[in-house]
Amino acid sequence: MDVVNQLQRQFIDYSASLHREGFLDDQFTQLQKLQDDNSPDFVVEVASLFFEDCEKLINNMARALEQQQGVDFRQVDASVHQLKGSSSSIGAMRVKDVCVAFRSFCEAQNREGCLRCLQQVTHEYSLLKNKLQTLFRLQQQILAAGGSIPVVE
Amino acid sequence: MHGNIWVVQNPQGSAQSMALVIRFQLRPSVSITINELGESSDQPCSNSLFKGLQVLLADDDDLNRAVTRKLLEKLGCSVSAVTSGFECLTSIGPASSPFQIVILELQMPELDGFEVAMRIRKFRSRNWPLIVAMTASADDDTWERCSQIGINGVIRKPVLLQGIAIELRKVLMQANKV
Repeated sequence: MDVVNQLQRQFIDYSASLHREGFLDDQFTQLQKLQDDNSPDFVVEVASLFFEDCEKLINNMARALEQQQGVDFRQVDASVHQLKGSSSSIGAMRVKDVCVAFRSFCEAQNREGCLRCLQQVTHEYSLLKNKLQTLFRLQQQILAAGGSIPVVE
Repeated sequence: MHGNIWVVQNPQGSAQSMALVIRFQLRPSVSITINELGESSDQPCSNSLFKGLQVLLADDDDLNRAVTRKLLEKLGCSVSAVTSGFECLTSIGPASSPFQIVILELQMPELDGFEVAMRIRKFRSRNWPLIVAMTASADDDTWERCSQIGINGVIRKPVLLQGIAIELRKVLMQANKV
């Protein structure tokens, strides 16, 4: 039981830090609350969908911004809009915030600004991916040790 | 209500007794359990209003669809999900539809939510199925446009459990006030 308690403590602390540092917001907590015995992998599944989305959309943005003949900012904006939607749905606050700034640069047709945002969004996405993978690993360890995953408010 | 009311007057002209007859028509009842704790309750899903409710969900985004579906199931709804406006129309069909509510993302490629709603209302009655729109941009213009098309409610994205519960409850209650 000691091991489980220790792991649960770690999980709670790590979760709290992710919220404190703005990586995740309340939406993510809501998703965690939705997880139940019927769908024990719900959060992991949604996170996977999110990462797939990110990779696809980031690639689209990069390709559109690379166009030397002239950037189609509407196309870039469409991808950013989608990414903003997905990140909102999962609670990826920092990614979402970059998207907000990104859209302004698209509207202003500012290629430099867009490229900077693309870099930022790529960075935030990989940071979040690592952190969530760590979180999920902790969850697995708790379950493997026979414990249950604490609900973080 | 096809009833009758009469007054028996006494010799002084004032009412001595009154009788009232009201004829009620038996209708299939929809069980409505109003959560007495109201919106402050942490358990909107304990509301039997949603239990077994047949919902059709249309959203082209995989992630959003997965999250919304889960939220609806948590409330007790029975959910069928489609990924496009066309699929949505096909699922409803021209004849009587098994779905009581259609939840519809407004911004979908090819055939958007507005179009889908218009076509549903063209061939079906005002309230069956009920249509609730989902959108990231729920401003007054959007609501106005939805209202004109015959959409019964609007849910703002990102979707939260309380948000869906409140709007669905409102839409269902309004539909029951026939």
